[in-house]
Amino acid sequence: MIVLVLAHAVAAVAAPAVVGRLGRRAFLLLAAIPATSFGWALTSAGPVSRGVVRTEVVSWVPALRLDLAFAMGSLQWVMMLVVTGVGAGVLAYCAWYFPDDEPGLGGFGGSFVAFAGAMLGLVLADDLLVLYVFWELTTVFSYLLIGHDPTRGASRAAAIQALVVTTFGGLAMLVGVLVIGLRAGTFRVSEVLADPPTGPAITVAVVLLLLGAVSKSALVPFHFWLPGAMAAPTPVSAYLHAAAMVKAGVYLVALLAPAFAAVPGWRALLLSMGLVTMLLGGWRSLRQLDIKLLLAYGTVSQLGFLLVVLSLGTRAAALAGLAMLVAHALFKATLFLVVGIVDRQAGTRDLRRLSGVGRSAPALAVTAVLAGASMAGLPPLIGFVTKESVYGALIGVARHGDGTGLGRLAGWTVLIGVVLGSGLTVAYTARFLWGTFGSKPPLQASYVAPIPVGFLATPALFAVTGLALGFLSGPQNAMLLPYAGQLPAGGHHPGLALWHEPGLALVLSMLSLGLGLLLFRRRERFAALQAVVAPPWSAERGYLKTMQRLDRLAVEVTGLTQRGSVAIYLSVVLAVVVLLPGGALLAAADRPSGLVRWDSAAQPVVAVVIVVAAVLTARSRRRLKAVVMVGVTGYGTATLFLLHGAPDLALTQVLVETVSLVVFVLVLRRLPAYFTDRPLTRGRYWRIAIGALVAAAVAGFMVISTGARTATPVSVGFPGEAMAFGGGRNVVNVTLVDIRAWDTMGEIAVLVAAATGVASLLFIASRTTAIRRVQDIPVEASATSSATGPVRPVWLPGGGTLAPERRSIIFEVITRLVFHTIVVFSMYLLFSGHNNPGGGFAAGLVTGLALMVRYLAGGRYELDEAAPVDAGALMGMGLFVATGSGLAPLAFGGAVLQSALVDLHLPLLGDVHLVTSVFFDVGVYLVVVGLLLDLLRSLGSGIDRHILREQPAHAQDSEVTT
Amino acid sequence: MSASLSLILAAAGMIGCGVYLLLERSLTRVLVGLVMLGNGVNLLFLVSGGPAGRAPIVGGDGSPMSDPLPQALVLTAIVISLGTTAFVLAMAYRSWQLTDHDDVQDDVEDAAIRRLAAADEASDSFDLSREDTADDELEAPQDEGRPA
Amino acid sequence: MNALVPLPVILPLLGAGLTLMASREPRLQRAVSTTVLAVVVVIAAILLHQTDAHGPQVIWIGAWKEPLGISLVADRLAALMLLVSAVVTLAVLVYSIGQGMTGDERETPVTIYHPTFLVLSAGVSNAFLAGDLFNLFVSFEILLFASYVLLTLGGTGARIRAGTIYVVVNVLSSTLFLVSIAAVYAATGSLNLAQLAGRLDDLPPSVSLVLQLLLLVTFSIKAAVFPLSFWLPDSYPTAPAPVTAVFAGLLTKVGVYTIIRTQTLLFPSSPLTDVLLWAALLTLVIGILGAVAQSEMKRMLSFTLVSHIGYMVFGVALATTAGYSGAIFYVVHHITIQTALFLVLGLVERRAGSTSLIKLGGLARIAPLLGLLFFVPAMNLAGIPPMSGFLGKVALTDAGLRIGTPLAYAVVAAGMLTSLLTLYAVAKAWNLAFWRTPEQAHETAQHLSDAGRRGRFGQVVQHRDHVHVGAHTYGARDLDEARSILDEDDVSHQDLHQLMEEGSVPSRLPRTMVGATAALVVLSLGLTAVAGPVFGYTGRAAHDLLDRGLYVSSVLSGGSR
Repeated sequence: MIVLVLAHAVAAVAAPAVVGRLGRRAFLLLAAIPATSFGWALTSAGPVSRGVVRTEVVSWVPALRLDLAFAMGSLQWVMMLVVTGVGAGVLAYCAWYFPDDEPGLGGFGGSFVAFAGAMLGLVLADDLLVLYVFWELTTVFSYLLIGHDPTRGASRAAAIQALVVTTFGGLAMLVGVLVIGLRAGTFRVSEVLADPPTGPAITVAVVLLLLGAVSKSALVPFHFWLPGAMAAPTPVSAYLHAAAMVKAGVYLVALLAPAFAAVPGWRALLLSMGLVTMLLGGWRSLRQLDIKLLLAYGTVSQLGFLLVVLSLGTRAAALAGLAMLVAHALFKATLFLVVGIVDRQAGTRDLRRLSGVGRSAPALAVTAVLAGASMAGLPPLIGFVTKESVYGALIGVARHGDGTGLGRLAGWTVLIGVVLGSGLTVAYTARFLWGTFGSKPPLQASYVAPIPVGFLATPALFAVTGLALGFLSGPQNAMLLPYAGQLPAGGHHPGLALWHEPGLALVLSMLSLGLGLLLFRRRERFAALQAVVAPPWSAERGYLKTMQRLDRLAVEVTGLTQRGSVAIYLSVVLAVVVLLPGGALLAAADRPSGLVRWDSAAQPVVAVVIVVAAVLTARSRRRLKAVVMVGVTGYGTATLFLLHGAPDLALTQVLVETVSLVVFVLVLRRLPAYFTDRPLTRGRYWRIAIGALVAAAVAGFMVISTGARTATPVSVGFPGEAMAFGGGRNVVNVTLVDIRAWDTMGEIAVLVAAATGVASLLFIASRTTAIRRVQDIPVEASATSSATGPVRPVWLPGGGTLAPERRSIIFEVITRLVFHTIVVFSMYLLFSGHNNPGGGFAAGLVTGLALMVRYLAGGRYELDEAAPVDAGALMGMGLFVATGSGLAPLAFGGAVLQSALVDLHLPLLGDVHLVTSVFFDVGVYLVVVGLLLDLLRSLGSGIDRHILREQPAHAQDSEVTT
Repeated sequence: MSASLSLILAAAGMIGCGVYLLLERSLTRVLVGLVMLGNGVNLLFLVSGGPAGRAPIVGGDGSPMSDPLPQALVLTAIVISLGTTAFVLAMAYRSWQLTDHDDVQDDVEDAAIRRLAAADEASDSFDLSREDTADDELEAPQDEGRPA
Repeated sequence: MNALVPLPVILPLLGAGLTLMASREPRLQRAVSTTVLAVVVVIAAILLHQTDAHGPQVIWIGAWKEPLGISLVADRLAALMLLVSAVVTLAVLVYSIGQGMTGDERETPVTIYHPTFLVLSAGVSNAFLAGDLFNLFVSFEILLFASYVLLTLGGTGARIRAGTIYVVVNVLSSTLFLVSIAAVYAATGSLNLAQLAGRLDDLPPSVSLVLQLLLLVTFSIKAAVFPLSFWLPDSYPTAPAPVTAVFAGLLTKVGVYTIIRTQTLLFPSSPLTDVLLWAALLTLVIGILGAVAQSEMKRMLSFTLVSHIGYMVFGVALATTAGYSGAIFYVVHHITIQTALFLVLGLVERRAGSTSLIKLGGLARIAPLLGLLFFVPAMNLAGIPPMSGFLGKVALTDAGLRIGTPLAYAVVAAGMLTSLLTLYAVAKAWNLAFWRTPEQAHETAQHLSDAGRRGRFGQVVQHRDHVHVGAHTYGARDLDEARSILDEDDVSHQDLHQLMEEGSVPSRLPRTMVGATAALVVLSLGLTAVAGPVFGYTGRAAHDLLDRGLYVSSVLSGGSR
C-alpha cells in the first residue's frame, strides 16, 4: 500500500516533464498509476471479504507517537476502489478533454496525480495523524487544481475560499485528533475503534473532528465552497465531487461511526446538518442555469443524504450508506464528465442555450440517462437498489429506534426529510437531462462537434458499471458486511437486493419519484415560488463578510499597535520595565538594605554636580551645550570612579569623554546649532513621568539587590591569581587582557564593526578612502600654500594645505612639539599597563588623541601625513593579532587565550619579565588606534570633503580642491 | 553588603534625564540621552561592587581593595558606548544629509496602514484578493470550452 | 575535544581581521569568509555529536581556575543552535556572494559586507556558547553592532529610518541588560551562569523574582515578544534581502534561546507560566493580524516572524519536557524556513523589481521555479503537513493539551487561528503575486488609486521584462513625482530604477542565489524526513534543560588548571 502511495508521489513529480514531452496524451500514462492500484485492490478482494485486515507500519516520529500506519479493511477497500477507479478514469478522460496548448498543463497533471495519491493515502491511513496529513494535502492540491486557470478572478477567489474553509475545519479536526490521541494513548485508528475512549473531553474532541468532516464534505453552513470550486476544469470537478475531497468527510464519519456514533452530539449534529443540506442542496440546484452548477448543488444535496445515512450507526444503515457512496461516485462522475463533453463539443453549459443535443449526440445522451436514472433511484440501477435499502434501514430506525436511541419523532422526521430530498433529487435530475439534451423550441438545435470515442469511453464505462452493479447485490453484500459488522446488529436485517418484497420502502420510492416528476412538470410555477422565498442572505455572503471583518480588524489592530514612532516603542518598553520588574520590587520593599549615605565626603558633592549637569543637559536647547553638559556628567562619573578606587576606569573614562567630545563637535559643526523648536506638549510631562519612574525603579533594583548580597564575590580570588597566574599587579588590567580576555576580544570586534559602520555611512559602499599625502597635492596647491608666506617656517607638512585664516601657528608648533611625546607616553601606558594603570585601551586612546591633535592643527592632509595607513587594515591587523595570540596557545597544547610568563635575558635591557598576554594587548591597542583614525578620517576628513563639495567654486581657491 | 546612597542617586539622576532625552525626537538628543544612560549604568556597577577601597593593584598597604571585577566590566562597557556614540552620530549625520534635519522619522508603511484604519478601509491586499467573486445565485455560467 | 568550543567564535573574528586587511582583494575576501564559515559548520557538527555522546563540552578561557574566568559551554541545546545557525549563515553568505558577483555591489559591498557578516556570525555563536552573563552581553553587542552596519548598508533614506528605530531600541535593551547584570552581580557576586544557578537559589524569592523579570524583559525585546515586538516589522524589511534573511532567521531566535537558557538554568523554580502564556497568546494573534493587513511581502513575512515567536514562547511557558522539546524543534524549523522565504523574496525582488502585492503579478507563469521555491516553504510556514512546521505545531499543541489549563487551551486555539491566518496570508500573496496576471494587477492598482484609496500604489510589472512606474503612485501627477515618492519610501525601487536605466529588469536569476535558496528549502524538507531523530535529540536536550544538575556539574567540576 505504501508503495502505491509513493508511486503516486513519484508520478506527480515526474508529471510536468512527461506532459511537457508527450502533451495531453501523457495523461493516459499517468492514469496507469491509479489503474494499477485499482487492479491491486481487486486482487485482494478475497481476503477482504473474509474480514482480513491488511496492515503496514513504518515508524516516523516516535516522540509524537506518529507512525506511518496503513490498514485495509472492507471500508478502506471500497474507498480505495472508488478513489483509484474514478481517478484512473478521469485522468484518461483528461487526454481528450484538454487541448495540447492548454497553459500550465504539466503542473496540472502533477497536482492531479498528487491529489489522487493524497486521497489514496487518506483512505488507507490507520493513524489519525497520518490521516490528517493526507487530509490537508488534499486541501492544498485542490487549491492548486481549482486555481488551474488563475487568470480568472473567480477561480482565484474560489480556490482561496475552498482553502480557508476546509483548513478551518481541518485545524479544528487536528485539535480533536490530538485530544483523542491523548485520552486513548494512541493515534492508531484500529486501536481507537477497538476500545473507544469516553468522557466530556472526548465529546468535545468528536465535535471538533466532525467540524472537520462537515466542512470538507460541504455540509451547510460550509457548503458554499463546493459550487465555487466549479471554477476548476470539469475533470477536477468530477473527481472532487464523485470520489475525492468531499468523500473524505463522508469516509471519516463512516470510519469513526462504530466508535463514536453513540457519543452525545454525534447523531444530533450530523442528522440535522445532513437533512438541511440535502434539502437546501436540492432546492438550490433547481435554480441553476449552468448545468455544472446544477450538478454541484446536486452533490451538496447527496452529501447531506450520505452523511445522514452513515452517521446513524446501525448496521443496516452503514451497509446501505456505503453502497450508496459507491453508487453516487459512479453516477456523479459520469454526469460531470458528460457535462465536460457537452461543454467542449457544444461550447456552452447554459441550459438556456443548449437544445437538441440529445438528437445530435445519442450515445452521450444514453450514458447521461443511465447515470441520471441511477441518481433518481430508478430500477434496476444501483441507485435504486441502495436507496431501497436505505429506506429500509430508516424505516427500521423510525419504527423502533433500532439501537440508535432516536425517538419516534426524530426517526420519522429523518425519514420524511429524506423522502422529500429524494423528490428534489428526481426533480433536478429531470431538469438536468431536459436542460442538457432536450429540444427547446424555438431555440434552434445547438451545434455539437463529433465526440471522439475515447472521450466518451470513461463516462460510458462508469454508467454501465452502475447498471451492472444493480444486478450484483449479492457480492456487494459480501464485500460490505465486514465493515457493517463493526456496528451493533439492529432489528432491521442489513442487505442490498434488487427486489425486496413490496413494502413501505417501495411505496416511498414511488412517492419521491412522483413528487420529483410533479415538481419538474410545474417548474415555471415552482421557480416563481423559489424566487419569492429566496432568502436575502447566503452562506457565501456570510463568508465574505467574515473575511472582510477580519481584514478590517487586522487593519485596525495593526494601526493601533504599529505607531511607527520610536519614541512610542521605547515608552512601551520602559513601561513594561516599570510594571514587571518594578512591580516586583514592591513585594521585596520590606527587605533590609545596607545603605550608607556616602563612602567619602567628596562623593555627594560630585553626585550633586552630576545631577545638576544632567538636568541642564535635558533642558538645553542648543546642541553644543547639551554635548558639553553631558561631558560634564561624564567627567563627574570619572571623578566618582577615582574616589571609589578605580584609577583605570577614571583614566579611560576621561579619555573616552574627550574623544567623544571631539567626535561630537566634528559632526555637530554640520548640524543646526539649535534643536528644532517644539511646543511644550503633554508629551513632555509623559516623558518626565517615565524618566522619573524608570530612575526610581533602577535605584530600587540596586538597593534591593545589594541588600540581598550574602555570598562573597568571585573576585576575591583575583589579586592572588593575577600575580601568580596572570603575572601582573594591576588586577583590573590582568582581568581585562587575561582573566576576562574573552570579553575584551568580543569588545574589539564591536569596535571594528562600529568603525566599519561609521565608514560605510560616510563613504557609501566603500570601506576606505584614498590616503592623500602632501606630495600628492597638485602643483598649484603648493603654490597657494607658499602664498601663505615662505617667511614662516612650515612646522607641519599638512599645515600649508589649510586656508591661511584657518591656520594657527602656535597650535602647529605645540602640536609639533607634543605629538611624539604623547605617542611615547602611550607606548609606556601600553607596556606598563600590566602592573600600573594603563593598558591597551588607554594607550590606544592616547595615541588616537595625538592623531586628533595633528588633524585639528593641520587638517586632513596632516592626518594622512601622521598616519599614512588604512584605518580598516589597521583594525583588521589588530583583530588578527589579538585573535591570533588567542589561538597560539593551542599550538603549545594550552587553552585558548592562555597566557605564559617568559623571562628573557636581553643584552642591553637585562632581564625582561614578559607576559605573552601583552601581544593580545597590542592587538587591542591597534584596534583602538584604528578606530580613532577611522573616526577622524570619516567624521573629520570625510565631512571636510562634503563641506568642500558644497562650497561655491570661488570659495575653493584658497582650499586645495580634492 | 553596604551601598552608597549618593552613588545610587547620582546614577538614578543620570538615568532619569537620559530616559527623558531618549524619548525626544532629535537624534542628537536621543544620543546624548543614551550616553548619559551609559554613564549612569556604569555607576551602578560601582555600587554592585560594594564599598569603595584602594585601587586594586597588588602591593601597597593592606587596606581593602575595591572590587576589581565590576571595574573590568565597566571598562568594557565604556568602550562599547564609545562605539555606539560614533555610530549613532554617523547615522544622525547621514539622516541630516538626506533630510536636512536629524529628527527620528516615523515609519511609512505603518503610516499607510494607519491611514487605512482611520478611513475604515480594508487593507490593500484584501481588496485586490477577491475581484468578482462568483456569486452562486442564478449567474450566467462562464464557458470554459471552445467548440472544437 | 573541548578545545573546539571557542573556535566557532574566534575563527570568524580571525577571518574578519583578514578580510579587513585584504580590503583590496574582493576575491580573497570571499574565499576567506566562505572557508571560515564552512569550517565552522564542520566544527559545529562535531560538537553536536560530542555533546550528544559525551555530555556538555566546557572550556575555561585562558585555563583560569574556575569560577574566575569565562567559561564557554556547549550543551545539547547550544550545539544544535550552533549547527543550525552555522548552516544558515553559510547559505546566506553564498547567496549574497551570488548577489554581489552579478554586479549589484551596492547591496553587498564586499569591503564592508564580509568582515561585518563574519563578526555577526561570531556574535551569534558566542551568544549560544556563553557560560557567563556578562559575556552573553558582549556577544549580544557583537552581533548587534554588526547588524547595525548591515541594516544601514548603502545609507538610503528608508534604511536610515529603519536603522534608527532598530539601533535606538536595541541600545536601550543593551542598557537594560547592563542594569540587570549589575543587579545580579550586586546580589550574588558572580557572573558565571552555572555558579549563579546555585547562588540565585539562596536569594530570597522576592529578590530573585525581580532579577528574573529584568532578564526576561531584556531578552523578550530581542526575541520580539509582544508588547516588545513593535520595532521589528519596522526595521527588518528595508535591509538588503540576505541581511533581512539572516536577521529574521537568527537574531530573534538568539533571544528565544537566552530566554530558554535563563528560565531553565537560573530560575527553574519560577516558570512564570501564566505571564508567558499571555505573552504567547498576544504575540501569536496580534502578530498574525499584522501580517494579514500588509500589502508588501517582506513586511508580511516580518509579521509572521513576530507572530510565530509566540509558538516558541508557548513551549517555554509550559516548562515541561514536551514543551521545551517542541519549542526547540520549532526554533530549528523556523530558522531555516524564515531565512529561506526571505531569500526567495530577494529573488522575487530581483526578478520583478518589487515585493509589493500591489505591483506584482504573473510570477508563476514567468518564473515557475521561483513559484515552487516560494510555495513550498510558504506552505511549510503555514504548518501544512507533513512538513516541519506541522510537526512543530503538533508537538507544541500536544504539550499544551497535556497541561490542560483553560489558558493553555486558549493559547492552543490562538495557535490554530494563527496557522489558519498564516495560510490565508501566504495564499493571498500567492494569488496576487504569482497567479493574477500583470495586467489585472495594473488595472487594480489604477482602479484603486483612481478611487482615491489611501493605501500605497505604485508601478506594476507589466510584461516579462519591462517595468513601468505607474503614474498613479499616491495619485502622483506625473512619472517623476511617482518616482520620487517611491525612491523615498522603498529601497527596492532604487535597484529597479538602475535597471530601468538599462532598460529591463534581469530576466535570469544568478545560479548561486537560486542554489543557496533551494538548498535551504531542501534542508527544511529534510527536517521532515529525519523528524524522528531530530525530535529524539530535542527531547534529550529538553530533558537536560529540566535537569540543570548536568550543566552545573560539568561546568563546576572542580580544579581545571
